[in-house]
Amino acid sequence: MSGRRSGDLAERLLGGPVLWAGLALLVAFALGPFLWVFLSSLKTRQELYATPLQYLPRQLTIGNYVDAWTSKLTPFSRFFANSLWVSSVTMVATTAISVLAAYALARFGFGGRRVFLLLFLATQMFPAVLLIAPLLSQWHALGLLDTYQALIYSNFSFTVPFTVWMLVGYFDSIPRELEESAMIDGCGRFGALYRVILPLAAPGIAATAIFAFVSSWSELLFAITFTSQTEMRTLSAGLLFMVGQYEIQWGQLSAGVIISTVPVAVLFVFLQRHLIHGLTAGALKG
Amino acid sequence: MAYPEATVAAPLARPLISRRTRDVLTGYAYLIPAAVCLGGTIAFPILKAIHMSLYRHVLFRPQEYGFIGLGNYGRLLRDEVFWLTLWNSFIWVAGSVSLQFLGGFAAALLLHQAFRGRALVRTVTLLPWVIPGVVVALVWEWLYQPNYGVINDLLLRLGLLTERVAWLSDPALAMPAVIATNVWRGVPFFAIMLLAGLQAIPDELYEAALVDGASVLHRFWHITLPLLRPIIVVATATRIVWTFNYADLIFVMTSGGPANATQITSTYTLLQAYSDLDFGYAATLSVVLLVIMLVFTTAYLRVTRGIESVA
Repeated sequence: MSGRRSGDLAERLLGGPVLWAGLALLVAFALGPFLWVFLSSLKTRQELYATPLQYLPRQLTIGNYVDAWTSKLTPFSRFFANSLWVSSVTMVATTAISVLAAYALARFGFGGRRVFLLLFLATQMFPAVLLIAPLLSQWHALGLLDTYQALIYSNFSFTVPFTVWMLVGYFDSIPRELEESAMIDGCGRFGALYRVILPLAAPGIAATAIFAFVSSWSELLFAITFTSQTEMRTLSAGLLFMVGQYEIQWGQLSAGVIISTVPVAVLFVFLQRHLIHGLTAGALKG
Repeated sequence: MAYPEATVAAPLARPLISRRTRDVLTGYAYLIPAAVCLGGTIAFPILKAIHMSLYRHVLFRPQEYGFIGLGNYGRLLRDEVFWLTLWNSFIWVAGSVSLQFLGGFAAALLLHQAFRGRALVRTVTLLPWVIPGVVVALVWEWLYQPNYGVINDLLLRLGLLTERVAWLSDPALAMPAVIATNVWRGVPFFAIMLLAGLQAIPDELYEAALVDGASVLHRFWHITLPLLRPIIVVATATRIVWTFNYADLIFVMTSGGPANATQITSTYTLLQAYSDLDFGYAATLSVVLLVIMLVFTTAYLRVTRGIESVA
């Protein structure tokens, strides 16, 4: 906490006008671009391309949304469903895999814990572009191109290392005695993990799950490389395709942008406390 | 889930294998799914990339496919565009990360103050960080649009511009324009990390300093900064690596153009794969990217002694 009383001029400024001006600037900076796209998405074609620029739409229209959602060339309803499926499965699978791995790293005193942790950390340095060509030939060989599996498996390459890393820190902070007493009471290892650790670590697990969902929702390069049919595109790939193929329809594109943003924005607004706590816990320890 | 060795109750009279051995084996068993995932999606593909980089492998010239040893690496050393992209990557990373850091630090200090509606403001200002990269790129392409873009319009109205500017197709302006976009996206990351760090600093330290009559700048310099150091080290290192590897924004906004003005090494790699279908050379570039990052991270961690705060 700051903003205490003091004769310090700098301090009084920081507590008053500077604070409010700064906050106003910050909010405008963060939201301004979005507000503009949102307004654009509600404008008719004439209003979008009016000179001089027309800031507010006179007749609100949802035509751009209807067009984007139902268009045959860029069926956003289909892209939306694809993204939802790929991100949900990635989220659930990543969480299950990384809870097991992180629990093992946090609790079983075997050699190589440090090596494993550093390996997980190191994988975050790998450029996604490094994986694209090899994964393309791998999924091609396995006949997985244009399938959800190719996207979901590929997503593990960036979700799993990070979630394991985060969860190890979280599990480390839960006292061992809790599950040891559960095991004395007759729980097995897995039972102790399931009944004692999971409920206690719920916020951390929720944070990692959201992280997996959000980052998989945003993924672009794998999506454009491993799918080529329109009906297999995710939102990111669909948006990019919309730009590449035709003269850009900014109205529809703005609507598409808003459609692609809403789920992650809503998720974030409701769960940001957990998300932020979980994400920073790893970096803060030590 | 079937982990039979894990469900054996603890107090067995004389277990066949000791409890300790069983624990270790169970530990490895729990790691198997993660190991399979990362083996299949990271370890194997990296080996494959190294292998690919030793071949001439252009998709539309299959008859030329063949082992060429370090031929691709030789080509890379002579490739002027590669050296240009390396320099551009440096500008891109230095510009993006330093401005993200400064903006994020300012934002964190503001958001750390007590004021009404703090929770709402925090949420709102962190939003750009969770937005998909392609969305960010398209939002800004629309803002930068020469004729209908709001940026030109605002600057003209404010008298800061006298004529419309084609931000993304002017070689001198394209890089600053994509960096500005990346700054918008990355400020919340630093804001979150530094805010968490600020909240971890005990109030007593500030109270003691206040008693000693330290000014706000003094307190910032002698308490806040030193205590935030571990976080700053980790957050910047992560961000430098991430920004260096990050291709989506530039790939969507300019594809590295105009005239390679925004071509960074990672977008160049993508173009080799997607436009030229030269998978051998793309693999070579990506292996080099990886080596650069490994060298950088090792050096960075050594210099900052940040390793203690990471592992």
